[in-house]
Amino acid sequence: MPLTRYLLFICFILLSSAGFAQRYTVSGIVRSATDSQPLIGATVAVPELKTGASTDTRGFYTLSLPAGSYQLQVTYIGYQPYSQTITVNSSAQTIAIALQPTENKLQEVIVETNSLEQKLNDNRMSVEQLSSREAKLLPALFGEVDLIKTLQLKPGVQSGGEGSSGLYVRGGGPDQNLVLLDDAVIYNPSHLFGFFSVFNPDAIRNVELYKGGFPAQFGGRLSSVLDVRMNRGNNEKIGVNGGIGLISSRLTIDGPIKKDKATFLISGRRTYVDTFTRLINKVNKDKKDYSPIPDYYFYDFNARLDYKPTPYDEISLSGYFGRDFFTFNDAGFSFSFNWGNTMGALNWRHTFNPRLFVNTSLSATGYEYNINNKIDVFSFNLRSDVQDVTLKTDFEWRPAEKHTIKFGAAGIKHGFTVGRLNFDSDDDLQNFSAGNTYQATEFGAYLSDDFQLNAQLSLNYGLRFSGFNSQGKTYTALEPRAAARYSLSTNTSLKASYASMMQYIHLVANSGASLPTDIWFPSTPRVKPQRSQQLALGVSHLFGDGKYLITNELYYKWMHRQIDFRDGANVFVNDSLENEFLFGKGESYGNEIYLEKIKGRTTGWLGYTLSWTYRQFDEINDGRRFPTRYDRRHDISLVLLHKLNKRLHLTGAFVYGTGNAFSLPVARFPLQDVQGKEPGIVPIYSDRNSFRLQASHRLDLGAVWKLKPKRGEADLTFSAYNAYNRRNPYFVYFEQMRDDEDQTIGFRAKQVSLFPVIPSVTYNFKF
Amino acid sequence: MKRILYLLPLVFLLSCDMEKEIEVVLPPHEPQLVVECYLENGYTFEATVLESSSYFDPPTAPAIPSTEVYIMYRDKRVQLNYNPGYNNRTNRYYTHKSSTRMNAKPGETYRIEVIGTKDRVVTGFTTILPKVPISELEWKFNDKDKALLLTTFQDDPDMTNYYRYMTHVGSMKKNARRDFVTDDNLTNGKVTTYGSAYDYEVGDTLILSLFNIEKQYYDFLRSVSDARNANGNPFSQPTKIKSSVQGGIGIFTNLVYDRKTVIIKEDN
Repeated sequence: MPLTRYLLFICFILLSSAGFAQRYTVSGIVRSATDSQPLIGATVAVPELKTGASTDTRGFYTLSLPAGSYQLQVTYIGYQPYSQTITVNSSAQTIAIALQPTENKLQEVIVETNSLEQKLNDNRMSVEQLSSREAKLLPALFGEVDLIKTLQLKPGVQSGGEGSSGLYVRGGGPDQNLVLLDDAVIYNPSHLFGFFSVFNPDAIRNVELYKGGFPAQFGGRLSSVLDVRMNRGNNEKIGVNGGIGLISSRLTIDGPIKKDKATFLISGRRTYVDTFTRLINKVNKDKKDYSPIPDYYFYDFNARLDYKPTPYDEISLSGYFGRDFFTFNDAGFSFSFNWGNTMGALNWRHTFNPRLFVNTSLSATGYEYNINNKIDVFSFNLRSDVQDVTLKTDFEWRPAEKHTIKFGAAGIKHGFTVGRLNFDSDDDLQNFSAGNTYQATEFGAYLSDDFQLNAQLSLNYGLRFSGFNSQGKTYTALEPRAAARYSLSTNTSLKASYASMMQYIHLVANSGASLPTDIWFPSTPRVKPQRSQQLALGVSHLFGDGKYLITNELYYKWMHRQIDFRDGANVFVNDSLENEFLFGKGESYGNEIYLEKIKGRTTGWLGYTLSWTYRQFDEINDGRRFPTRYDRRHDISLVLLHKLNKRLHLTGAFVYGTGNAFSLPVARFPLQDVQGKEPGIVPIYSDRNSFRLQASHRLDLGAVWKLKPKRGEADLTFSAYNAYNRRNPYFVYFEQMRDDEDQTIGFRAKQVSLFPVIPSVTYNFKF
Repeated sequence: MKRILYLLPLVFLLSCDMEKEIEVVLPPHEPQLVVECYLENGYTFEATVLESSSYFDPPTAPAIPSTEVYIMYRDKRVQLNYNPGYNNRTNRYYTHKSSTRMNAKPGETYRIEVIGTKDRVVTGFTTILPKVPISELEWKFNDKDKALLLTTFQDDPDMTNYYRYMTHVGSMKKNARRDFVTDDNLTNGKVTTYGSAYDYEVGDTLILSLFNIEKQYYDFLRSVSDARNANGNPFSQPTKIKSSVQGGIGIFTNLVYDRKTVIIKEDN
């Protein structure tokens, strides 16, 4: 649909709903009374009028009410219900609400912030929400709580492999996720080669993952949006919390700078395995033929300042800095490899009036890796990075009770350094360099309307106009978005959505894993942007007196101009990197069933995904389509949380997944090479990903034991990852069997697993 | 509680056997002709022709005596007879051999034709390259009396070069201590030095070989290396072998190299 006709359509919809009785706006922020954190998804209702609203990500609600006197009721799980009589008269009014936590916070195990009724009636679909509080209850690998790994337990979300924090959403690759931390992009959200995410759970408040039905304000990636929000500092008092775990420790300090005006939060964590490996190296340094263990550690820091200069303005400054270090030193030889993200974001939210807000942010973000190698007189340095500066503004306007209009624009200045190599010798006789830098500009503008047509039907429709300029070439695209909800009854809703997405920057990753050396590359005249379209249909049904919600979603995703690389592509030091790209297409489809219970002593969810994911490239697999590694036919997650008594929570998570698709050689041939001697074996591969690993399944168990410290709160969190010690396959290889005289006598297949049962204990404290 | 904590490392230790043998059923494989033939000036033509096997077949490659091998150059067509043997100079076994010695000049093209059973025909060609001489050899000691070796040569600025560099210690009969292939993408026309780690000691005899190789041989070697690395590396993508021959698998190329022998001494 051409843009002008689309805008006319939106105007028509708006005009057709004009002419309401005189109404007045009641709005405000719902916060926790203990630490002033905004409560997301709290229900603010006026029962007499059978109307209500839920709070947004800033805890903000708005209602449009006729003049009169009403009872305003506010509910939020884990907090005492709040009720207040309000009189609506001739002017808009602001009502701030502070909710008290329930007396015994452990009375219920809360697994999600939003109520099931809200989810049933939410216009959005294909959205998963998670709070740090929830993630901290669940068992974790090495006791390291990881929000992304917890999201992998939701239907439609898969990990790249056991222990990996990669996200593969509805058949999309890990490069197709838009990862935002307080509205700024995080390019590589993982530590330790993908085994841990960069999000420190103490610094994070909540996460929303959009798998489809993307709102128009999001753009730039094909498959998902991971919207991560940092905690705000406590407005009441200085607080300290932290934890001491098996491989890392963390500490967070927050509090008011000026009560009700400004707060701060600083959080950091660091691993300490290197402390032990250094000790081992020191003890063994004089042993002949001892090979030192390389040093490895990571750390990250989060910081946030919130400032409220006027009742109408909120300013926040968020920052993240994280680095991984891998170093190795031996006589005359040194190798260091470090990588990480840096992010700073300044957000300003201004309320013009209760019906019109604007959020403007200026952010800078970057990811880089550096490899330094020195052998005597020779030194070698390889680095790549991506640096962004983003300015964006988002307006939210509620012109009438049934409409919420969102519009805004964003501009991003990208800078890429791709494979910058420097090689030098001390005598300067040997030196050469390679690598390229690229500059690009990305922009987007959008308009959307959330329209409550009547009690049964609501629509969300929007259009995003995006563009990208690099090397004199400009790409533009229209990305229509639409979603609808129809309530069949008070307990059953039908939902549908369509989203078209563009991706203008691409991850150069020629391996099956997310590695720190994966680099970002812009669209150029030769490398065209990727595009996807996704259609999803869903039904949600609330039953068991509102205790259970079952949701079924069916999706189909088309992916155009997908990127892969030639066999043997050199992606490290290559000034003609574009020549290594291959372009193809992909498709993904499946069905997700999700049953959840969020109230009571026993809570949790059961998810089942049936899915197919394929790619097709002319130059790969002789042009035939092939399944991706993470094509997973069946995927089951069962998560249960049970409050045994006031001090003890028990949790368990069982996962089952069809084995990853992978490639094996089907044949071999002998090669003597110029060296001669015994011929070596060269494997011959046939169709890509035509084999399957055995199915993976495991049970993780956890327990949180509340201690009774003299001051503050403390607990011990126990985890048993892979409790029944299942040998889940990580990869399979073929091995040459040899006799005593080193002669080859045959071949066999070996399966390698990564993690046995891994018990861990973490001590957490807060005061 | 303490007792439980004591048990945890024990459970961990008991469960650390993370590899096991499994059964994999492979699809049927139609054997292909595999040709390996390196031409060297001044030496007779030798070729090895075997067949590929399904991965779990017995290790010994089946001989195929009925195969005919021809080398063609200028206006000649030389047949290599089936006469399996071992060449002590090259350390290689061969299946076919002729008594004709090669006398080629840079720029000349040689062709191969292998006619096998079941109408299988393998063809390929190679263009003779000039030798790239090693201009300087130098070693340096560290404080542990270990030496690194520097091998210097001049790259030809007028053509794209591909190199294979090998270091043998003591004898060519042993496996090379260093062996890599590279191109002159970053060093075109420059005086180039290949360095080593501090691997050598006083008295070591080092045999350095600098091969000037064809692109098709470079591609073949890289694809062989990638394919081998993909078996056992969960992060690698599988790679198809880039053969320099058509109709089968393998390599047909010419070997042109400069080779120098040095004995590491205290004074360079």
